[in-house]
Amino acid sequence: MIWLALKTMRHEKVRLAITLTGIIFSTVLTLMQVSMYLGMMGNATSIIRNTDADIWIASRNVQNFDFAYPFSEEKLNRVRAYHDVLRADRLIMTWGFLKLADGGQDQVQIIGFNPDSGVGAPWSMVYGRPEDVKGGRYMIMDKTSEKRLGELRIGTLWELGGRKFKLVGLSNGIKSFTTAPIIFTSYEQAQQFQGFIKADQTSYIVAKVRDREKVRDREKVRDIVNDLKANMKDNDIYTKDDFGFKTVMYWTIQTGIGLGYFLTASLGLIVGGAIVGQTVYVNTMEHLREYGTLKALGARNSEIYQVIFSQVGISALIGFTSGSGIILALRSGVEKAGVSLYLSPALFLSIFVIVLGTCLLSAYFSVKKIRTLDPMTVFRA
Amino acid sequence: MNTVLEVKDVNMFYGSGDNKIVAVDSASLAVKRHELLLIMGPSGSGKTTLLSIMGCILYPNSGQVIIKGQVVIGSNQATGNPDRILPHIRKGNFGFVFQSFNLFPFLNAAENVEFVLRIKGHNRGKIRQEALGLLKKVGLENRAGAYPSDLSGGQKQRVAFARALAGDPPIILADEPTASLDSKTGLEVLGLLKLLAEEYGKAIVIVSHDPKAKAFAHRVVYIEDGRIRS
Repeated sequence: MIWLALKTMRHEKVRLAITLTGIIFSTVLTLMQVSMYLGMMGNATSIIRNTDADIWIASRNVQNFDFAYPFSEEKLNRVRAYHDVLRADRLIMTWGFLKLADGGQDQVQIIGFNPDSGVGAPWSMVYGRPEDVKGGRYMIMDKTSEKRLGELRIGTLWELGGRKFKLVGLSNGIKSFTTAPIIFTSYEQAQQFQGFIKADQTSYIVAKVRDREKVRDREKVRDIVNDLKANMKDNDIYTKDDFGFKTVMYWTIQTGIGLGYFLTASLGLIVGGAIVGQTVYVNTMEHLREYGTLKALGARNSEIYQVIFSQVGISALIGFTSGSGIILALRSGVEKAGVSLYLSPALFLSIFVIVLGTCLLSAYFSVKKIRTLDPMTVFRA
Repeated sequence: MNTVLEVKDVNMFYGSGDNKIVAVDSASLAVKRHELLLIMGPSGSGKTTLLSIMGCILYPNSGQVIIKGQVVIGSNQATGNPDRILPHIRKGNFGFVFQSFNLFPFLNAAENVEFVLRIKGHNRGKIRQEALGLLKKVGLENRAGAYPSDLSGGQKQRVAFARALAGDPPIILADEPTASLDSKTGLEVLGLLKLLAEEYGKAIVIVSHDPKAKAFAHRVVYIEDGRIRS
């Protein structure tokens, strides 16, 4: 039946072009929206995901990673006292103003980490090492910030929060959800940003669990988290996954961003599906007599459905491939504009399944028409 | 001659009570191999409905349809969903020819025949040759690659004949096969149908208004108000 589907499609070139346009539109819009959303959520959780820690301890009622409130760093010792905690570190997430070459200022996100342990350090270094921030006013910036901050040259001095910092390293691809450039410095230096944080305070305590076994991994971490919750009532305590999830949920639901992306992606699918459904239906109606003939000749409904579904399936494959090609071609330009796209084989596969499902669903009215088609119609001239 | 297709006391009606319309009224008919049976009657007499019942396209309200001695409709043993059973019966036993040809416009002559062979489950490696052989039987071997839009009415009907012969069904049912053709081509087509009956042993049933068809038929029956008159 694929044979007949291909013949039909080749014959109906204009209709095929319209169908493919619909699917390409759907694919591009859906892929763009979903990859942008995932890219943003990836940025929102990048430090959580890339910090070598199983447990995150934050101030009470923290909403997401970027909105950390300071709390006493003395609690570090309580965490370290746990036998199952291999190590615990403090991590500062705060905000500051960076003076730019043109005299203006830009708000930046400052991450203060322990350069000795490297916990919370930048992970994709293109120049220098994370431990280079140790021992003075040194900082690491991300190359993706260049568009906003100007050229980032190693060894240059930048005024951060009224103090001069030397740029000693460059990472690449580390972005925040808020789009504010991220600056990494030592914990001690970050702690000196008065106003946001006091000298004896930290934003987070991050802990690594000892002797993690694969199977009992989550259970063990969960046990420690529950125990910490019972003993540190002024803090929120999360597993790494839970804190990432909380952060994602905050941006997705509380800000309405998720709904916006979801609606746009859904709209893409609906419009694409409607175009496909309409062209397939017109095609079916135009060949109703021939399909009736097939039924009269003994073809089962399922055999005729195969023709329709093959047409839709082949169109979906061609349209999705073309749409994906467009996305891949646009990717570099979009990312240069500062937008993060998360594209992976799993995402392509998932979106293909959704696009294919939408196309197959759009053939519903055609299938219904065939199901109720009386082969007697072929006897009517 | 062996009886291939038989209908016994079939009735078909639509609606009920005062709105009841009788399309076929206690019709009984048989057709044998090598025979060309012509059913004639005025418009609305029920001849197409009868042909549809004979071709197992329409399930009658009562009566039997018997193919090669086996009751396929109306038997106490015949159970199951007619929508599933009837296509299977049609696929194995019937070829159809229609007034308006009903060829796929985007398939050439050979492909229109091939397609039915595919439906009937023939070996895919051989269907091309089979299709060309069938087109040769109807005198169209040199037009195998032509699309319906490039064929004359008579040629289209010949392709429809080749398609009806695909899978070598014992019975061919033709509904007004000459209605869309000019007089000369109509005669050629009727001649071809007679040839198919006599040379290839097919049982052929034609429904037609065309009085010229009578000269080609081995037997003619008339139907009026759903009843067979002769």
